[in-house]
Amino acid sequence: MTATALFQSALASLPEIVVITGACILLILGQLVGKGQGHVFVWASVAVVLMAALGTLMLASEVRPAYTGMFVADGFSVFFKFVFYIATVLTFFLSRKYADIEGIESSEYYVLLLFALSGMMIMASATDLLSLYVGLELMVLCTYVLTGFLRREPRSNEAALKYVILGAVSTAIFLYGVSLIYGLTGTTQLDGMAAAVTGDPLDPGLLLAVVFIVAGLVFKVGAVPFHMWVPDVYEGAPTTITAFMSVGPKAAGFAVILRVFLNPLVAASDAWLVVAVIAVVTMALGSFVALVQDNFKRLLAYSSIAHAGFAIFGVVAGSADGTASVMLYLLIYSMMNLGIFGIVIMMRNGDFSGEIIEDYAGFARSHPGLALLMLLYLFSLAGIPPTAGFFAKFYVLVALIERGFVMLAVIAVLLSAVAAYFYIRIVMVIYMREPQRAFDPALTPLVRATLAFTALGTLGIGLFPERFLRLAQGAVFGG
Amino acid sequence: MGLPLLSLIVFTPAAGAVVLLLFRSEDAVRWTALAITVLDLALCIAMLAGFDQTTHQMQFTEIHAWVPTLGITYALGIDGISALFVFMTALLGWICVLASWVAINSKVKEFMVSLLVMQALMLGVFCALDLFLFYVCWEAMLIPMYLIIGVWGGDGRVYAAFKFFLYTLAGSLLFLIGVIVLYFHGGRTFDILALTGQDLPFWVQSWLFFAFLIAFAVKVPMVPVHTWLPDAHVQAPTAGSIILAGVLLKMGAYGFLRFSLPMLPEASVYYSTLMLALSALAIVYGGLLALAQDDLKKLVAYSSISHMGFVTLGVFALNLRGLEGGILQMFNHGITTGALFLLVGLIYERTHTRNIPDYGGLMKVAPVYTAFLALFTLSSMALPGTNSFVGELLVLSGGFAANLAAGAAAVVGALLSAAYLLGMFRRVALGPASIGARFKIRDVNAREMAAILPLAVFVLWVGLYPKPFLNIIDVSVKHLLAQVLTKGSGQ
Repeated sequence: MTATALFQSALASLPEIVVITGACILLILGQLVGKGQGHVFVWASVAVVLMAALGTLMLASEVRPAYTGMFVADGFSVFFKFVFYIATVLTFFLSRKYADIEGIESSEYYVLLLFALSGMMIMASATDLLSLYVGLELMVLCTYVLTGFLRREPRSNEAALKYVILGAVSTAIFLYGVSLIYGLTGTTQLDGMAAAVTGDPLDPGLLLAVVFIVAGLVFKVGAVPFHMWVPDVYEGAPTTITAFMSVGPKAAGFAVILRVFLNPLVAASDAWLVVAVIAVVTMALGSFVALVQDNFKRLLAYSSIAHAGFAIFGVVAGSADGTASVMLYLLIYSMMNLGIFGIVIMMRNGDFSGEIIEDYAGFARSHPGLALLMLLYLFSLAGIPPTAGFFAKFYVLVALIERGFVMLAVIAVLLSAVAAYFYIRIVMVIYMREPQRAFDPALTPLVRATLAFTALGTLGIGLFPERFLRLAQGAVFGG
Repeated sequence: MGLPLLSLIVFTPAAGAVVLLLFRSEDAVRWTALAITVLDLALCIAMLAGFDQTTHQMQFTEIHAWVPTLGITYALGIDGISALFVFMTALLGWICVLASWVAINSKVKEFMVSLLVMQALMLGVFCALDLFLFYVCWEAMLIPMYLIIGVWGGDGRVYAAFKFFLYTLAGSLLFLIGVIVLYFHGGRTFDILALTGQDLPFWVQSWLFFAFLIAFAVKVPMVPVHTWLPDAHVQAPTAGSIILAGVLLKMGAYGFLRFSLPMLPEASVYYSTLMLALSALAIVYGGLLALAQDDLKKLVAYSSISHMGFVTLGVFALNLRGLEGGILQMFNHGITTGALFLLVGLIYERTHTRNIPDYGGLMKVAPVYTAFLALFTLSSMALPGTNSFVGELLVLSGGFAANLAAGAAAVVGALLSAAYLLGMFRRVALGPASIGARFKIRDVNAREMAAILPLAVFVLWVGLYPKPFLNIIDVSVKHLLAQVLTKGSGQ
């Protein structure tokens, strides 16, 4: 590699370098800052992310392949990186007070989040199965630790352990698929894979390899049949980390899935059929099991499974519109899901956990404004217009029907009617029950800012989707 | 490009809802809501005054790009059919505010905001010329209506609100799929007018017809997807019932008129017999159910199913008299049933019972109230001189021309309605004064009078001189019928 090529590569991966360097500096800084100075970490971390975002914006104008084809900075990755930035910054905002209350105030928390962010960014930019693997592992190792961050809580420890073991298995499956691909085609680069196939693209060996890779990736987005970890991990993890995991790593998983599925090798095989089945079963399971949940975090875990199912329908559609629809879906999902999680996090105060749905009875009476926000997020999650959640689903359906999958679209909407039931049930508890207790939400200015931002996104993208639609489409067509 | 009148009509209540959020005093909220709805009605009257009755073209059109990438526009416009419903929606709007004046005494602000948002969305549905916009308004209505039933309703409100929500949602989602299929067949446009000119293959039309049918049938509601309606009606507060009966049920029928008939003419003609049969079933079955009710509100609710059967019967008779009668009946049903729910609400506020056997001799203690009740009861059973007579006569003559059996069933339904309505009136108003003695009922006061009187005026106006109302819709209906019959006769 010549010096110019190295410089170009470093330039293309500048945002990643910024985040990793920032995280390292913060790790050292953490030892120097005294107790009770948590806000320093928050603002330092936010500054790091903002710098990375600035770098990403500067590089967004053209496609930059780097590191001999292992990495690329293109429109596709830029779109996803911004979803990650938003998710991470909002998680920082939500964490400040929550970390205080839970007693997890330490610099490692923020450092790990930043490392997870860098892992996600690498995933979005990876064009080689190996660099993809590096990003993936960097991300999940951090989330393993973060899941178990409530050291004194058995629930948190158990969740982390479960996550590590299942995650390791899925990683092994993924690696096995990668090794098969390498053995059969002699390359791990996504571009090279299709070109290297000389014979029948439906070679059973390759098909097996694709299935293994898909299985490994499906685990990360929490789709059936690798969803079992989701409810337990979501419930056990600190709520801020749950919020983060439901949005950031999930989007990263989809970024990778889209990259792999846009690959001619996979496109030529009949993988879409498998994916269609996964989508239907995932959505059905998520929607139906969520119906009987009493715990808010578990309900949101199943709801996130259902939403992953819906987004996978966009993967099934596969076209440019299909890809763009998944991307837009993830952006919108981040907004509304971080919003609703923001509320759950805010409710955690004193001896009040805010995790049981019944706890919210009569919330509308005591805090009409916050209840209205919840109403907005919940209806958006249910996909009722004019919220953004509706447009997200609408665009996926358009992509599906464009490809002629009308039956799949019908299944998708019927299942989303089932899913609507449990969101509306929460609205019912908030609005139509008498209050049982006084609420004292931990409503700091940072939490307020998060809620305002996500509400603006949830309503704004719903009413004026054009710009965001163009962004997503541009990221697909241009990249 | 003059004044964007339709946008003003649609957004006045929406803007009003935002303004209401600033108030603290409950009375200020009430008066402001009333002022906004009256202003909206005034705008609608201005719209009617400028309406050209000699053309079937869309008028007052406004078109702006909304999501150009997907061919979605913000397009508003009205023809005669929509004009009538826009007017009706605005007319019932301020009556709903009056009906909730004292009936709603908790969270008044939230209630009025929901009511105004609801009104904006309903007006949006009737004015929309873009399918996407139409769907957004159509579906978004679920949110305020769910809250109106679920927060301010009766004891079983939560169940009723749920049922209403899920039925309508499940129905509309298939409609959404149909809309997207239509979008691709129509060359990637959501423009309603462009889509009406399409020549879709018959099998596509058939599929779309049934996808649309499910959505519209739930809203109308037609038997057998009617079961949400009695629950929702009985539990909803008076204003909610008025909106449900007056406007929401009309949207299903409006959907048939705006989408099924002109966009899927062959399928509409082909399946019209099925639709006539379903309408006849609704008329008779709804009537029989109403006959068995002891609850005042339930009786009116079930009678709605029967009366809406007349509407769909008229529409799918697919002849001029049937269609005009059906549309006029939609307007009439909004006025008459809205008024009946209002009257039931007034008496319930005083006695806190809706059980018919509890009543009796109301005429002696509340003569003015009883006079109104008599008028609207007679109107509901379509006595000559009242509005429903004109509509029902047109529907019957259209129905007989289309299908003898369906016409005969409708006559049976008309007889049934006389039976249950007269029975109700006898048990409530005549006989010895039982409930009056126990409760000391006040007669209607000025505010209540202000809500009822305009409806009574329309009952007699349409009944005695229906021409202006038929004139509004006439040209549009003729055009619609020509569209259906020229294209649909191929099958």
